[in-house]
Amino acid sequence: MGFLEKAKKSQWYGVGLLLVITVLCWAVFKVLCPDTFGAPDQLLTYLQTGIIYAVGGCGLYFIVVMGLWDFSIGSVLVLACLLSIGFAQMFGYPGLIIAPIVAGALMGVANGAAYIKLRIPSLIVTVGLSLIYESFSVFASDWAGTRLPDAYKMFGSYPWNLIVALAAFGLCAFILKYTKLGTYVNAIGANELTAKNMGVNVDKYKFFAFVLCSMFVGIMAILYIGYGTAQTPMTGMLSQSLNFKPLMGTFFALAFRKYGHPVVSVVIGEFIIAMMFAGFVALGMPVTVNNIITGATLLIIVCITTKRIKGAVVK
Amino acid sequence: MGNKLLLHAEKIDKRFGPTHAVKEVSLDFYEGEIHALIGENGSGKSTFTNMLTGILPIGSGTFTLSGEQVAPKNQVDANHHGIAIVVQETGTLSGLTVAENMFLGDEDQFIKNGLKDTRAMNKKAQELLDAYGLSYIKATSAVDMYNFEDRKLVEIVRSTYFDPKILVVDETTTALSQSGRDKLFEVMRDVRAKGHCVIFISHDMAEVMDMSDRISILRDGDFITTVDVSEVDEDKLKTLMVGREMGDHYYRTDYPDYANEPAGDVAVCMENVSVPGELDEVSLTLHRGEILGIGGLSECGMHEVGKAIFGASYDRTGTVKLGDGTEINDINTAIDHSIAYASKDRDHESLLINDTIEDNITLPSMRDMGTVLSDKKLHDFAQKYAEIMSTKMVGVNQYVSALSGGNKQKVVLARWLGKQSDILVLDSPTRGIDIKVKAAIYALMEDMRKQGKAILIISEEIMELIGMCDRILVMKDGKVNGELLRSPELCEQDLIAKMV
Repeated sequence: MGFLEKAKKSQWYGVGLLLVITVLCWAVFKVLCPDTFGAPDQLLTYLQTGIIYAVGGCGLYFIVVMGLWDFSIGSVLVLACLLSIGFAQMFGYPGLIIAPIVAGALMGVANGAAYIKLRIPSLIVTVGLSLIYESFSVFASDWAGTRLPDAYKMFGSYPWNLIVALAAFGLCAFILKYTKLGTYVNAIGANELTAKNMGVNVDKYKFFAFVLCSMFVGIMAILYIGYGTAQTPMTGMLSQSLNFKPLMGTFFALAFRKYGHPVVSVVIGEFIIAMMFAGFVALGMPVTVNNIITGATLLIIVCITTKRIKGAVVK
Repeated sequence: MGNKLLLHAEKIDKRFGPTHAVKEVSLDFYEGEIHALIGENGSGKSTFTNMLTGILPIGSGTFTLSGEQVAPKNQVDANHHGIAIVVQETGTLSGLTVAENMFLGDEDQFIKNGLKDTRAMNKKAQELLDAYGLSYIKATSAVDMYNFEDRKLVEIVRSTYFDPKILVVDETTTALSQSGRDKLFEVMRDVRAKGHCVIFISHDMAEVMDMSDRISILRDGDFITTVDVSEVDEDKLKTLMVGREMGDHYYRTDYPDYANEPAGDVAVCMENVSVPGELDEVSLTLHRGEILGIGGLSECGMHEVGKAIFGASYDRTGTVKLGDGTEINDINTAIDHSIAYASKDRDHESLLINDTIEDNITLPSMRDMGTVLSDKKLHDFAQKYAEIMSTKMVGVNQYVSALSGGNKQKVVLARWLGKQSDILVLDSPTRGIDIKVKAAIYALMEDMRKQGKAILIISEEIMELIGMCDRILVMKDGKVNGELLRSPELCEQDLIAKMV
């Protein structure tokens, strides 16, 4: 067996490949704009941006790996941020931390329960519920305001943002590796009927996956509000735009799924995306062009790494 | 059989809608035996063992294992009762490690304080793999890293490591190379040596004769007989397996003199068509006014022939040409040139199951109805052809999902009848269909043949091929293994000899 074939069999091949892509991406932008991109302190900034979305991406992985969707995460994020602002003013840091996590988990309970009980597609359930959460965000902003007081911005900067994110990544990796739920979400995604035949309570684990997803978005809210320090309520499906950055990290994890280490893939994936955004800004490109190129890059990476079978139905 | 009774099945019965898959089958399985279960496709073997292993709920009847009644809720529950199965299809799940696959649904043995002891699970999985001589498979690797055969071997370890009293091996050998088969046979002999029982399902008669102690035959869901392997030979087994009595009046009664009658014009011709893993250099010619049959065992590649002619094969090499030289390389060209195709997988590949009868019948004909479609025209069109086919329905707005299997097939045929197709490729056209509808479909095919249409039937039912076809091509391992002409002397053994 040749070196490359041996390497491909390694569990770390996927991570290695992602790191190579990271370095290539960095090198390209560094050559194009050597003075305004890619210095060590700037790389740390990209990483700090990327890890915020990576936390949400980790939560979303539980859902997407089962072949389901959660399009409510943007609205969950907005509401969790606003509740975090409100409870921080009442209870200080404990309120800032606990409120979004609990609120996220409760919205996850609502998502999961609605999906299981109504028996309609997860995409429709979560889009429908996101409209409700968006409305709640208006009430929450009326109550709490939209700005995080200066005294509670600790989680917006290094090292506390990194500590919270690492704790979230550790928790996600732990659940995936050391709990039945971690195995079962993969099993349900691979073949729900077979998983059922093996005694897996599919509904129960789908429900828990929804709870976990929104809970991770709650953790993301701690970092998000700390970084941005203000959050306005969003209505009329505006929150949908917040779904996509975490989702991109999840796509990376899915594309590299067979190599294991989905959490590492989410984090590196989000870092690549953050770096690309910064690179295009350094090149002076408008945001629209950034989005086109970033979207195209994501598609290319997923196409390269995913084995597509001719004739297979892809949904 | 001097051994002790291990498992008794009492009047096991199962229906799927109108299909009576297993009909009050009673069977005994003894300690220390390999007991083969054979029968044609659709004879109820897998349904029977799926009920035993918790994959399907038991319709009625009881299984009694070592004196205790068992009704497993799922495969893991069956394992806990000492019953295991290696299934025909891939039974491992992508995205999980080898170890996770081996203990899926049974992780509780590794749960400590609510957490899964992954290290212990991996260690035990690797020990088992090593013990089975499969050290090259790593318990911690994603199962996706391994090929189909290795994944099958992982399944074999999963199904046998806990010393099951009953091991079901369902059509597994076709997925394995010789070394894989040897490994499986070694495991089966080991189970027998321990005084347990293997229920072995296979279409390979030589394998069945070689491995089994006793053989039970099922046919159309009925239990036929159990024989000791020393009492039979392969031919006797084949006769027991397929020797059904069919009323001849369903079939054609004419026997043309092929030697003196000229064949009709060439309708379609396949030349050296290969599809990786399915077909190997297959050539055939279908004439107008002819019914050409393709027979063989289910996995012989015959179903791909239909797809190839309809332009629905992927990675196909070789050519498919019409009589006028037009090449068929895609489905649209096929439909435009009057080719119709009814897939074996009726619900998934032929019908829009959650759509109306009207939409299903009119779909391919819409291209001939102009840009602006008239509701009335569509409705009348569907109504006309549904009625010609005597489809039992409330109306053409009824959803296809609510129809019986036979009526669904009538909708498929009505669609192509409406399209005025001249070349019909019918894969398993009477699968899961009762005798009355079968007779109607046979009559329709005969009418079409007389009108000069070319019909290709792909079928696993030998009598259907003998009864309806002018010529039969028998396939084996992706190749045409022989051609038989219509004749009153033609019998099942002639076909079976070429397919097994």
